[in-house]
Amino acid sequence: MQGEDERKGMELAVEHINTSHPLMKELAPGVDNGLLGKKLEILVADSAANPNQAVQAEQSFINQNNVMMMTGSTSSSVAVALNKLADREKIIYLPGISGSNDTTGKDCARYGFRQGFFGEMAANAIGPTLVKNFGENRKAAYMTPDYTYGHTVTESVSTYLRDHAGWEVVTNQVSPLGTQDFSQYLTNIANSGADFLINVNWGRDAVLSTQQAAQFGIIPAMTLVVPYQIPFLAPEAGPELTEGVFACTEFWWTLEDEYPLVKQFVEAFQEKYGYRPEWGAENGYVAFAHWARMITEANSFYPADVIAQYEKGETIPSLMGDVFYRPEDHQCVRPVCIVRGKARSEMQNDEDFWEVVEVLSGPDVIQPVDYLGCELGEI
Amino acid sequence: MLSWGNFISQMFNGLVSGALLALIASGLTIIYGTLGVLNLAHGAMFMLGGYGGWIAYTYTGSYTVAVAAGTIFVLLVGVAMERGIIRHFYNRPPEDQLLVTFGLGIVFVEGVRLVFGSLIKMTPPPEIFRGITNLGFMVYPTYRIAALVIVVVALGALYLILYRTRIGMIVRAGIEDSTMVGSLGINVFKVFMLVFGIGAAAAGFAGIVNAPIVSIAPDVGDRYLVLTFVVVIIGGVGSFPGAVLGGLIAGQLLSLTSMIDPAYSEIVLFVAMTLVLMFRPRGLLGTAGRE
Amino acid sequence: MNRRHRPFVAEILTAIGLLVAPFVLRWLGVPPNTINPILIFGLLGIGFDLLFGFTGLLSFGQSAFFGSGGMVAAYVLTRTSMDNTLVALLVAAVASGVIGYLVGLVALRRTGIYFAMITVAIAEVFFFAEFNPLAHWTGGENGLPGVPTPNLRLGFTTIEFTTNEQMYWFFGACYFIGIVLALRIVRSPVGLILRAIRDNPLRASALGHNIHGYKLAVFIVAAIYTGIAGGLLGMMQGFMPPDAFKFETSGEIVMQTAIGGAGTLFGPLLGAAVWIYLSDLFKITLNLGAMWKLILGIVFVLLVMFLRRGIAGGLVDLWGLAAARLLPPRPARSGVEDAAAPPPAVLLPRARRGSGVGGPADEAPRTGTILRASDLSKRYGGIIANRNIDFEVDYGEIRGIIGPNGAGKSTFFKMLTCEVAPSSGTITFEGNDITGRDVSDVCQLGLTKSYQINQLFERLTVRQNLEIAALGVLRGTFRLDLLGSMSGVEGLDGHVAGTAALVNLTPRLDTAVSELAYGEKRRLEIGLALATAPSLLLLDEPLAGMSPGERVDTVALLKSIAKGRTMIIIDHDMDSLFELVNRVTVLQEGSILVEGTPDEIRADRRVQEAYLGGIEGESA
Repeated sequence: MQGEDERKGMELAVEHINTSHPLMKELAPGVDNGLLGKKLEILVADSAANPNQAVQAEQSFINQNNVMMMTGSTSSSVAVALNKLADREKIIYLPGISGSNDTTGKDCARYGFRQGFFGEMAANAIGPTLVKNFGENRKAAYMTPDYTYGHTVTESVSTYLRDHAGWEVVTNQVSPLGTQDFSQYLTNIANSGADFLINVNWGRDAVLSTQQAAQFGIIPAMTLVVPYQIPFLAPEAGPELTEGVFACTEFWWTLEDEYPLVKQFVEAFQEKYGYRPEWGAENGYVAFAHWARMITEANSFYPADVIAQYEKGETIPSLMGDVFYRPEDHQCVRPVCIVRGKARSEMQNDEDFWEVVEVLSGPDVIQPVDYLGCELGEI
Repeated sequence: MLSWGNFISQMFNGLVSGALLALIASGLTIIYGTLGVLNLAHGAMFMLGGYGGWIAYTYTGSYTVAVAAGTIFVLLVGVAMERGIIRHFYNRPPEDQLLVTFGLGIVFVEGVRLVFGSLIKMTPPPEIFRGITNLGFMVYPTYRIAALVIVVVALGALYLILYRTRIGMIVRAGIEDSTMVGSLGINVFKVFMLVFGIGAAAAGFAGIVNAPIVSIAPDVGDRYLVLTFVVVIIGGVGSFPGAVLGGLIAGQLLSLTSMIDPAYSEIVLFVAMTLVLMFRPRGLLGTAGRE
Repeated sequence: MNRRHRPFVAEILTAIGLLVAPFVLRWLGVPPNTINPILIFGLLGIGFDLLFGFTGLLSFGQSAFFGSGGMVAAYVLTRTSMDNTLVALLVAAVASGVIGYLVGLVALRRTGIYFAMITVAIAEVFFFAEFNPLAHWTGGENGLPGVPTPNLRLGFTTIEFTTNEQMYWFFGACYFIGIVLALRIVRSPVGLILRAIRDNPLRASALGHNIHGYKLAVFIVAAIYTGIAGGLLGMMQGFMPPDAFKFETSGEIVMQTAIGGAGTLFGPLLGAAVWIYLSDLFKITLNLGAMWKLILGIVFVLLVMFLRRGIAGGLVDLWGLAAARLLPPRPARSGVEDAAAPPPAVLLPRARRGSGVGGPADEAPRTGTILRASDLSKRYGGIIANRNIDFEVDYGEIRGIIGPNGAGKSTFFKMLTCEVAPSSGTITFEGNDITGRDVSDVCQLGLTKSYQINQLFERLTVRQNLEIAALGVLRGTFRLDLLGSMSGVEGLDGHVAGTAALVNLTPRLDTAVSELAYGEKRRLEIGLALATAPSLLLLDEPLAGMSPGERVDTVALLKSIAKGRTMIIIDHDMDSLFELVNRVTVLQEGSILVEGTPDEIRADRRVQEAYLGGIEGESA
């Protein structure tokens, strides 16, 4: 579902690149009904959030279709695997949704460029909000999916809260990807004496674990926090469960009131797909636009030239103001926002689930360059 | 999380999942005991029960109808499967039965995926079972308590079928001595068909009762298939009491290990299975009947 | 003796096929990244086929070895300073072999469906262990990315296989070595014993083979093949996925082998090719990603139902059909005709064991008691099958055992051959206490039985049947000459020819058992027991189910083999039996009623009473 949304954002970007849409022109002025005289085509395969299938599919694409760029993931284990494949096959890779610190941290790649936000940024952004609203020395129970995204997000958030406000991790329940019955984990949490349930699960696991937490009465007994906002969690689990919940995300459609480019994007997307985009779609769209910009600026499809262009670290526009890619780890330094779940009664329309509390600038929330141990490979 | 309260709650979790496993495993084990067929599509039966019930629910909005419809649907699928395919395999090597039921399992799962997609479907519990119940010593989701009662009743019904009816006698006789049934002058094929249907329906019933707890998806039965094997191996193949005992043991091992670290719960269960295999290769309550 | 295999045809054809394939496939427009996974799955399929197709052990747990081998190799290459891929593969092979040994110890405690179920469950342990508990080493859900492509360190230079085209040659070479070794295994004595285990484990064991040992051996071999293939997978993808541990992987291996054809060694390669072709066709060309597994499932079910031996088996059958059309059929021989021919005088290597290992026993016939059962009883639950039997047979004696139905004759025999352990009492054979020993050990000591109901290896030829029996004598209970050849077993051909001549099956040596007439099967049944060169031969109703004509022939046969042997014969046909034996023991209700010469027994009133209305009908 998150992947579907992400793909639609990418498809919209391809369409806008091929037709020189005004919004795309804002982000990548060199686009001219295509890139360097060529139309773009996008090939899609379903990885089912499974790195093995993703690697196999991309290998087919590389061999059979001579693709110029690989993209996509709604899972950081996919992103990490494709990062490595990108370096080996020497093809540019743009991870889509990938919340793990490692994607541009210890598993970073010379050929990989991440536009989206990730655990450490989310932690640095949501931490102060939690401390401000709930005070110091609180007890938190974590639910962590057992892969790189989950572990790094939990690590970043818990470290921030411990070091800055003395919050205690009373339990961290690590569940395998695709868990259906969370009762054992939730029972441990119910008996842990925590005040907060910090749910890092993603996708279907997030929906099921949140619903079951409500079955067990953990919600509302504990306050739910979703440090890394899961697209479509609110509509799936219902606003009753996300009401008042703090989350960190990189985009929410109501930002259209402040940012004209967001408004253009939301309108174009809604017109084509019939609903307002989630942050996955925004992520895919902007990552593509940035890539198109690099190619037109470098005036070359040759990966080494494109990498060199990215690594100049120039300030370039995004939907939410100026951003830049760090040459040291290929992470885009971009703004993130804190949202809070609205009650059903407060919703203006049936997609009005979150209220944007605060927008934080990228440099304020991103970690120092060498903090996560990225060492880029050879070109 | 070692606390008395957690211990009690986890025991209860284990009881709920153990009863569910016991019911699914009973279905597997009576088919295996009577027909000598290990139905690798048993997990798919569990899944089909959930979907059958979910469809009935979306049309009627009634939980009771959903449970009945899901169970009957899987009973019919089981009967059709036995008549159409399994029957032709009684005289073939046992490996062929494994292969064909494995293939059928894939066909069911992928067929459902094609029609209904991979996303989860929810069947809500009936109104009276929603919310949380305070049992005095702990609070627990009402529907899970209800599900436990429903599954125990179903196990009781299965017990009555197996121990108080003619077909049950034949089934048990068949488990003791598979060659005997044929010599009793009974229409073996009719019995086999019915046993296969009942065994499948037990899984289907479990599938729909489980649906409001965790939702359904095409792959929902996969995990249960493997757990069911473990239950059957621990309890003893072909033994109804063994399936129940194995289910309860498995449920407790899974939840009580979870208290310390959920990541090890499955491993502890499989270690227990290995120990049973080493010291009681036929399972705790197994008979010498089937190999 | 003609050897059945034209030398190296399969090997040479494989080599040519592998050399030509990339060019043909390029011409067909198939990219190399499609064939590389086919080779990897074909390679692990070879091991699986040895296990399933040749030994009849259907494991649904190969994922454990695929994943473990792959993870070990990937770990060595990504987390240590070692970057020699061959060394990594070697480590993976050893690791998966050790794991195979441990898993085999548990799983092989049971057979058939139960075995399959246990393998599923054990493989799941690996799946769960791979995640959280061992995530530090395996990367958990992330797998191990960054596995290098294969290389070959030759000392003076290093060959790197970086592109898919280059990797093909590396994987192709691995496959070739894999198939050559597997063909050696299949053609070795062990290979024949494996097929014996597949067709009739009970008899294979009764012929003196330690079938548990052989099963464990082939289980380990399959694990090693699978583990190496796992290592190659990581190198091919540049990423070792945790998925390798999934149940689906095991299922994929099983399905590919069944689709391609089990018991052919090349079947899994074919199956993998069909699998990957269909997958690519539906996912990429037709863009019907959601559908392909459904189609595959349906194809698989149909194949299992109607084309049991898979594609390769179907092709072989087609070939057989075509050959039958083109070549005139060989005239069939009737069993009676053969039996009428006088048995040629061939010397068998006889009773070389016993207490004194070697020849002297052959030269001077031994005297005294060969077998003694003391106070032997057998209870099944509340039912007493045998009660307090004291029984002795001397060297050179031909003893008959009779008794009405339900007298406990068969149970008594099963205890003597150690197929069934007695509830109490002891059995001494040539001075050794054999009570509670294994049936294969007892056969090795020189005590064996021909069965009441034929226990033959139905899918093999008469020659192979006799070879299996002879190998027990010539090789001992367990020997792991996996790469040895049949012709390397000294005296095998002579032994087989001698036995065949003795039971009048020489012209039928290369006929499949399934094509034999009943009388011929019966003689082969006796021949199997004879081929183990027993010092004591037990015959359980050798005349059962025979026509009067066949009985006459078989009695003649038994008389001819009786010379210089010790035998115990159960039969209901008293007239024939009394013609053969020196003494008769009569069992009734599980105990010995009376013992004596045939004439004494005929005259005994108690025997007549016991048989009143009993045996008459049957012996008529």
